[in-house]
Amino acid sequence: MVVEDDLTAALTALKAVARRSAVARNLQGGVEERLLQSIVDATASLFDAEAASIALFERDPDRLEFRVASGARGAGAIGLRVKPSEGIVGFVFSSGQALVLSDVTKDPRFDQEAAARTGYVPRSVAAVPLLDDEGTVGVLQVLDKRGSPSFSLRDMELLAIFARQATTAITATRVQRDTARLLGEVLRQLADDALTDAQVEALVSEATHDLDDRTEGPFWRLVDHAELLRGMGERETLLVAKILEVVANHEKRRPRRA
Amino acid sequence: MTSLDLPAWSEPFSHPDALVRSMPLAGVSRAWAWGGSTGAGIRVGVIDSGLEVEHPRLNGRVVDSVAVRLVDGEPEIVPDDGADLYGHGTACAGIILGLAPDVELVSIRVLGADLRGKGTAFAAGLEWAIEQGIGVLNLSLSSKSEALFSVFHDLADRAYFRNVALVCAANNVPAASYPSLFSSVFSVAAHGEPDPRRVYYNPAPPVEFGAWGVDVPIAWKDGGSTVATGNSFAAPHVAGMVALIMAKHPGMTPFEVKAVLAAIADNPIRHEDG
Repeated sequence: MVVEDDLTAALTALKAVARRSAVARNLQGGVEERLLQSIVDATASLFDAEAASIALFERDPDRLEFRVASGARGAGAIGLRVKPSEGIVGFVFSSGQALVLSDVTKDPRFDQEAAARTGYVPRSVAAVPLLDDEGTVGVLQVLDKRGSPSFSLRDMELLAIFARQATTAITATRVQRDTARLLGEVLRQLADDALTDAQVEALVSEATHDLDDRTEGPFWRLVDHAELLRGMGERETLLVAKILEVVANHEKRRPRRA
Repeated sequence: MTSLDLPAWSEPFSHPDALVRSMPLAGVSRAWAWGGSTGAGIRVGVIDSGLEVEHPRLNGRVVDSVAVRLVDGEPEIVPDDGADLYGHGTACAGIILGLAPDVELVSIRVLGADLRGKGTAFAAGLEWAIEQGIGVLNLSLSSKSEALFSVFHDLADRAYFRNVALVCAANNVPAASYPSLFSSVFSVAAHGEPDPRRVYYNPAPPVEFGAWGVDVPIAWKDGGSTVATGNSFAAPHVAGMVALIMAKHPGMTPFEVKAVLAAIADNPIRHEDG
């Protein structure tokens, strides 16, 4: 029975963690995109480049998807998908090796299809891998440095610094996105061998099962409103917090109806 | 900038002052090292994205092509179709042939749709190439996997003890990079002087050699060509020079080849009187 009690306590704690994580995720909607956008904006500006973009690896099917782009000529790339086995971005992703190509139009296969879709064929490309502890998660690329036919070695190494920033941002935000996976890992570590995989899965599933319905129900409406409040001033936020406190205290004191 | 932890492996090769040596090895000249050598009799393995065997720059010199295939996560070596997924392997091979036109090339493909640059596939390809006794291996790629540190360390030692020269491009990004930063390999970064035979010895490792790697004209996919920058393209210049030396001096060990390369390097020499 001790084990049963432990599991119940674990479940309660997990539910609280999962709920807080989901609320945080809701409140910070688009944080990954915003961070990545600021990184490509800074990259394009620093290198005085026509465009900069980030493609992230996604599964089912395996693909590299351009998530953010900067520069007057970069916008067309957003949403573009390329196979990891193709092109310069595919090579950099697969090999983890940074690469600069000048005069890429000489490459007969250089993303002709992609270029047609974006309406932009660059002259030079610098691409570096986004590396985290487990491997490559995507590629940061810069196109066409103004006033120079190509990118230098120094550019390449500096670009790697921006890539590291991007990777840090992605890792931080994905921890939230993958709440269930995170909970599972923590549980397994804490429980040592006391819990079977099935038990861990059941716990995680129960703790997180209603979190995806966050657009429904009064609680999630509240979270959505709170997200809106973030754009307002401190006075408004404090005022709303006080109102909520009064309501909550009132509810606490009021005897529950059967 | 050092606080940013830039790799800056190429940095020493743009400041010749840092490369000054005071010990010219007078008996070792380029003429002695590789004069008259074309690389004939030496096999050079390119561990990369495959080799496009019909590419005009490869001049029909590819004698064998294999690929690593993962079956339930276990790597196995299978015959390859003589194509290059990206053009990168073909680019490296073209540079090698530019220096050593008579070497025989072996393609060991460790990149691909199903491999996604998995370190286990890379290690399996490297192990196969060492077991085959291929004299020079060009590795213009490296693994970031800490978990494979000991695997690659063991392979680098096995290559060294079997007189197989591993010529590795240092990665341009700040991350673990195996086996390119092991002491037994020829670790190469780029310099920007457009001369395929200009080589520097770096007395401040982990990167020991600098070769041309900026705006290098290279062979590329589908019979094409382009211009590229990266340590990827510096390593094959050194691989070509190593092949020339090994062809002229059969039985020379990687240690001796490194010493010869250092002796004939273009580093400035400080002449000490008296």
